[in-house]
Amino acid sequence: MEKPERLLVDGKRLDGRGMDELRPVEIKAGVLERADGSAYIEMGNNKVFAAVYGPREMHPRHDQQPDTAVLRCRYSMSPFSVDDRKRPGPDRRSTEISKVTTDALEPVLFLELYPRSVVDVFIRVLQADAGTRTAGINAASVALADAGIPMRDLVSSVAVGKVDDTLVLDLTKEEDQWGTTDLPVAMVTRKRAITLLQMDGHFTKDEFMQAIDLAMKGCEKIYEVQRQALKEKYAIKEEK
Amino acid sequence: MIHVEKRELVVPGQLIAEGRYKYMEGTFREEDKIYSAVVGLVGIKGEQIRVIPLQGRYIPHEGDLVIGVVIDTHHSGWILDINSPYSGNLFVSNLVHRKVDLNNEDISKYLGLGDVVIASVMEVSEHMKVLLETDRQEGGVVENGELIEISSAKIPRVLGRKGSMLRIIQADTDCRLVVGENGRIIILGSNHHMVNLAVKAILMIEREAHTSGLTERVHLMLEKEKTGGI
Repeated sequence: MEKPERLLVDGKRLDGRGMDELRPVEIKAGVLERADGSAYIEMGNNKVFAAVYGPREMHPRHDQQPDTAVLRCRYSMSPFSVDDRKRPGPDRRSTEISKVTTDALEPVLFLELYPRSVVDVFIRVLQADAGTRTAGINAASVALADAGIPMRDLVSSVAVGKVDDTLVLDLTKEEDQWGTTDLPVAMVTRKRAITLLQMDGHFTKDEFMQAIDLAMKGCEKIYEVQRQALKEKYAIKEEK
Repeated sequence: MIHVEKRELVVPGQLIAEGRYKYMEGTFREEDKIYSAVVGLVGIKGEQIRVIPLQGRYIPHEGDLVIGVVIDTHHSGWILDINSPYSGNLFVSNLVHRKVDLNNEDISKYLGLGDVVIASVMEVSEHMKVLLETDRQEGGVVENGELIEISSAKIPRVLGRKGSMLRIIQADTDCRLVVGENGRIIILGSNHHMVNLAVKAILMIEREAHTSGLTERVHLMLEKEKTGGI
């Protein structure tokens, strides 16, 4: 795709959203038959699955922790998830995302209840359109709750960026590519505690503080969708 | 002050109550607020607040009745899979209830790989090493019957309030059920139609564990299948 002349036209973004508007978010909990917990999220054009297995016996055994469970996340992209074919298998980028996702989710889990075990989280991107790590975290935290793993709260995540010198919430691929800054944020919504913060690009101090505020507002909206997804799964359905 | 209704569905991080309540399993406290830690149904009993989870693996506790499958043997006993992140350890002496001279006795005659054992949890260590014994009347190797496995979180519903659900299934199907806390159930019955019916009832409970009035519906279903079926 060619770089558009402007990313903001008449106070609207290319897809018609306002500056502080999220893309449509939809989450479904308990979608995978064989996993202990799972979730599927569509965040704009991102389509991501998360599957949770565990707590289960830790292999390799030397990675067991005698006093707590270990959280192990793996983020991977399907070869067909992007325009050019993504070479399958772990690479530098997905290793990094796996790590920051683990760190983003770990603080809310009561892992000390399950010594010597492991909780495996697999995040699989089916279709990517900027912000897959945030979509992955959103799905993974619903999947963890769906697996019945005790947690303090759900983790919600969204990115803020700067395009045409304006702060915008929840970047699309175009905005990510041609914009100047990308700031993914994950937080424990109830406590407004940030568990993931990365930045690619530049912000002034004022912009940064505004960006965090914007991200927090976005997270609150996603948090509601996550809670609804969990409640929906057990909603009492009408008798046939 | 309580912020939810009785038996309301809650999600992790949801505020349940404020003030001087006792927080039990499925909940945690921050300052004077009590939150849910899992997806489940709120249970309030006097000052005690708990959340009964709808999902989750079986975690062994002392005194639980479990149904295990032998996955390994060693010189003085067996390792059992108990449908949990942790495996169970059963020593010969806790199976046969006497001192066993390991030098002169071949213990492989008691249990082999794949054998199903009804046992109770004798001890769980800090590091979740689980010791089993077979001292209850039901205990020991299972010779016959049908074994099914459901989520351990749904076992309380299979038992029902004071065992009411279990009594109905047993009476309606004329089968005997051994319910392991770890999600495994053994069905003993002479008529295989009835055994299948009991399986159907248990799977129905697993599917609809979060709804109310389940005992009545299971009873109706069993009655209907019995008159229409055979």
